[in-house]
Amino acid sequence: MNNRVNPGFKKELQKFGMSEQWNECFHCGNCTAICPLSENEVLFPRKGIRVIQMGLKDKLASYVEPWMCYYCGECSETCPRDANPGELMMTLRRYLTSVYDWTGMSRKFYTSKWWELSYILFFALLVIVLFLIYLPLRPDAYLMVNESGGVMLNHLVAGISGDQFIRIIEFGDWAMAIIVAFILVSNILNMFYKIILSNKSFKVPFYAYFTEFWRLIYNFVTQSKFSKCDDKNYWVGHMLLMTGYTTMFILVVVALPAFQTEKVVDWYNWQRLLGYYATFGILFFLTVVTIGRIRKKDIKLQYSHSTDWLFIIMLGLTTITGIVLHIFRLAGLPAATYYMYILHLAILVPMIMVEVPFSKWSHLAYRPFAIYFSRLKQVALSKQYSTGLAPAI
Amino acid sequence: MEEPRIGVYVCWCGTNIEKVVDVAEVAKAMEKLPNVVLSKNYKYMCSDPGQDLIIKDIKENNLNRIVVSACSPRIHELTFRKTLEKAGLNPYLLQMANIREHVSWVHDDKKAATDKAKSLVAAAVTRVNHHEELQKRTVDINPATLIIGGGIAGLTAALEIADAGKKVFLLEKTNHLGGVVAGIDQSFPYFDSAQQIIQQFIKRIKQHENVEVLLNTKAENITGYVGNFKMPLPMLGIDAELEFGNIIVATGLKPYDPSAIREYGYGYLPNVITSLEFEKMLMSGKIETKDGKTPEDILIIHCVGSRNKNCHEYCSRTCCMTALKFATQLRSALPKANIYQAYADMRSFGKDCEELYLKASQKDIMFLMYDQQKYLPEIRRAPNREKCEMLVEIEEILSGDMVEVPADLVILMTAMEAHEDVKDVARTVGVSLCGNDFFIERHPKLDPVATTTDGVFIAGTCQAPKDIPDSVAQAKAAAARVLSSIDVGQVEIEVTTAFTNEDLCCGCQTCISVCPYKAIGFNEENRVSVVNEILCKGCGTCSSACPTGAIRTRHFTDKQIMSQIEGMLSMTKRKSKKTELEV
Ligand SMILES: Cc1cc2nc3c(=O)[nH]c(=O)nc-3n(C[C@H](O)[C@H](O)[C@H](O)COP(=O)(O)OP(=O)(O)OC[C@H]3O[C@@H](n4cnc5c(N)ncnc54)[C@H](O)[C@@H]3O)c2cc1C
Ligand code: SF4
Ligand code: SF4
Ligand code: SF4
Ligand code: SF4
Ligand code: SF4
Repeated sequence: MNNRVNPGFKKELQKFGMSEQWNECFHCGNCTAICPLSENEVLFPRKGIRVIQMGLKDKLASYVEPWMCYYCGECSETCPRDANPGELMMTLRRYLTSVYDWTGMSRKFYTSKWWELSYILFFALLVIVLFLIYLPLRPDAYLMVNESGGVMLNHLVAGISGDQFIRIIEFGDWAMAIIVAFILVSNILNMFYKIILSNKSFKVPFYAYFTEFWRLIYNFVTQSKFSKCDDKNYWVGHMLLMTGYTTMFILVVVALPAFQTEKVVDWYNWQRLLGYYATFGILFFLTVVTIGRIRKKDIKLQYSHSTDWLFIIMLGLTTITGIVLHIFRLAGLPAATYYMYILHLAILVPMIMVEVPFSKWSHLAYRPFAIYFSRLKQVALSKQYSTGLAPAI
Repeated sequence: MEEPRIGVYVCWCGTNIEKVVDVAEVAKAMEKLPNVVLSKNYKYMCSDPGQDLIIKDIKENNLNRIVVSACSPRIHELTFRKTLEKAGLNPYLLQMANIREHVSWVHDDKKAATDKAKSLVAAAVTRVNHHEELQKRTVDINPATLIIGGGIAGLTAALEIADAGKKVFLLEKTNHLGGVVAGIDQSFPYFDSAQQIIQQFIKRIKQHENVEVLLNTKAENITGYVGNFKMPLPMLGIDAELEFGNIIVATGLKPYDPSAIREYGYGYLPNVITSLEFEKMLMSGKIETKDGKTPEDILIIHCVGSRNKNCHEYCSRTCCMTALKFATQLRSALPKANIYQAYADMRSFGKDCEELYLKASQKDIMFLMYDQQKYLPEIRRAPNREKCEMLVEIEEILSGDMVEVPADLVILMTAMEAHEDVKDVARTVGVSLCGNDFFIERHPKLDPVATTTDGVFIAGTCQAPKDIPDSVAQAKAAAARVLSSIDVGQVEIEVTTAFTNEDLCCGCQTCISVCPYKAIGFNEENRVSVVNEILCKGCGTCSSACPTGAIRTRHFTDKQIMSQIEGMLSMTKRKSKKTELEV
């Protein structure tokens, strides 16, 4: 590991969000002491600040700690120098996402708005063009209304049957999922290499890989770490978003034929109820966060990176087009439903392609693995420290 | 001699003494001792009513000896001597017993403490029986002053005294005036030109009619005493001599030689330089490596030779600020350079110094903390493939990481230490040095410019490392002390001095070899030792060394000391037979 100091590094980091405010830090350690999640051998956020001040890039790449932080903001409130360590952890998560991503796309998106916008626009246009050319609206679409008055969504395309349409969309879903998963998995392996394998300061005992894996699953299900944070409202919002988003994901990818049905099922059927729950969860989160980011009262929402806004806008547009689509469908407007469906996908697809492997959503994958890796590190280090050396806070 | 009539006063010192010592009992026990006329206890003896009580008793009861048993004589002996004078008694007919610092503050067993207090007071009582009247003496002050050292402190003091119309001899051992400041470019914290300040001083000094500057001259063979010192000037002729009444020592400090610290490679790594060498670079206006290249990475290392058991344990006090000054100057001279500071605690006390630290810290300087006791940074030449000249390994303690710093130029903030010849100066002016070879002031807080030798003052860094404002302030204070003594024109000298009984003296000269103040001379004609009572401090060393008992110290005669011991033991005699036997 290269341990050469690098004064220029802070400029690089600035592009991922925070200005040099963290440089106010005088290393009192209050933040680490107050942090409800910092614990032996995985101490943060103070140490991370020091690593950045010195510009130790390699050390930072192997730094798992930012993923342990759920941004409760307590450290930033406690810091006597207003160095805002909580926001720094957020900035570091963005930075680390770009470090793990071997394709380099993540870095481009975080450091340049224009890159991200062009990329999104490209996928949006691709979706629109593909639909208009290969899946055009059938001329007699106005007939595709069933007896209950709802639009028969799967029968709007010319030349193919409803079953075929579902299969095509399903194929697209899976193709997208596989690409995204491939990138994510390879990035996680890269992350594993950087945090565990390349770090010579500790050696993970082999058995720990198994014992800690079970712990990871337990933690993931109970979210016991997160519940240590004092701000329970934030936790609720976060949970609503996560469950809503996951529900939606399962509905449209895994259970598409059951979700996107021919008939408009009655409102109390499970598909619709789940869909409503997911929509509500996402909308609720979006409203709270948008208001928060505009008001800037809550410390963790004071600083917004351009990618934060883009994420909110994309998710918001996806949700709104989804709702409008649903209304058109219920109202029995086949052409409007069709075009809204395309628009919905033209926003959803680029959002998934950007956010899941390269940006905000990727932390859904990185975080549980980071917890796993940090447990490995903890086990390794506590074994080492039991022989004498104690770490600084 | 008239019969002693002794008054004993036991002080409560509020509750300070009273809560541990039974003062009434102590006073009562003293009543039984021979020649004690009265024995009292009172809440505050040093207060006006306390002193008035003594005066009244002296007058009403015809007392001629007083014992005050209270705090340390260092605090109130002078007070009570004055009380005796007011009552018309010779002030040396007083004896104090210290039952606060020696008893109540260090014991908590009331019974034992009271017994101990009784012993101490009894000792004072038996001693005071043998006190003699001693007369005060004064000598005239020669209005000329010798200043040793032509740095900013010496120059300031010289101007201050010369401007008041008094003669000054300014000794400087090198061939130029100005000291360390003459080698400094700008001064912290305001970045004003040090050259302008010092050159102006030098110019004025050289033109001043009251100042005689003696370059290439060291202070040697000074003799005499306060008011009447002499120093021979052999290079100006056999009989050439300076005569002066006061001395100000302002010999300053010199930079530590860092080649002794292996890790820094000073001496063989060409681009490792000291702070003073860097000042020179700043004055020349060219910051460059030995090969004439503009440095891209510059490391400043603090505490070089300071705060480390292997060099000096003290803090040199100005190097942190000088380092911040350097970093600021570097930043404006080389806006693109990477500047690093390896420090071990940042010491930025002093007016506007913390502010300078704050400003410097906003100038994109990387501060790296190291442990100056345990892990010094290690500098080595960079391999050829590297762009930089050197690589420095630092154990950074805020992160706990070993980091590597590239450097083209390394500036060592060297310690300031005493000159090699400081012991000679100290000996010739008769002032002691502390463990770090800094001159010791008479009192660290209450008398920081005087020394224990009357007529000798200290100013500037020779007393301890300090910056220019502090050096100047101390120099002005020393000058003021000298001027006031010239103004009074006379000085009271010690009366508790040694004297020889020439009939008993065998001429062995033991006393001469032990006297730390060089106060004893030898009369070749009569072959006896003679005490110069103006130089003598009354330390008593000679009296205890003299094999014949010929030399004695006033106020500390054998009789007085022995009676004191007897008195001390008299209180325990009855209890312990053993003590009696041993005595
Ligand atoms: C690199 C550096 C930068 C500094 N920068 C600043 C700054 O920016 N601002 C600030 O406030 N302070 C600064 N200082 C501190 C400042 O230099 C001192 O406070 C100041 O020099 C003290 O003056 P002085 O007269 O006591 O001693 P000195 O300057 O040391 O002068 C003593 C003089 O006495 C002479 N001498 C010594 N022994 C004898 C002898 N036996 N007989 C006759 N003469 C003798 C010496 O030759 C010398 O000329 C700096 C110090 C260093 C080393
Ligand atoms: S509380 Fe603030 S100043 Fe203290 S270590 Fe944390 S970030 Fe630094
Ligand atoms: S924001 Fe909360 S969890 Fe994150 S480092 Fe600060 S205190 Fe810890
Ligand atoms: S002033 Fe600073 S650099 Fe100098 S010895 Fe003291 S702590 Fe070290
Ligand atoms: S030690 Fe005593 S005997 Fe010897 S020279 Fe001195 S005074 Fe005389
Ligand atoms: S009493 Fe002390 S100072 Fe005086 S002559 Fe004797 S040894 Fe010297």
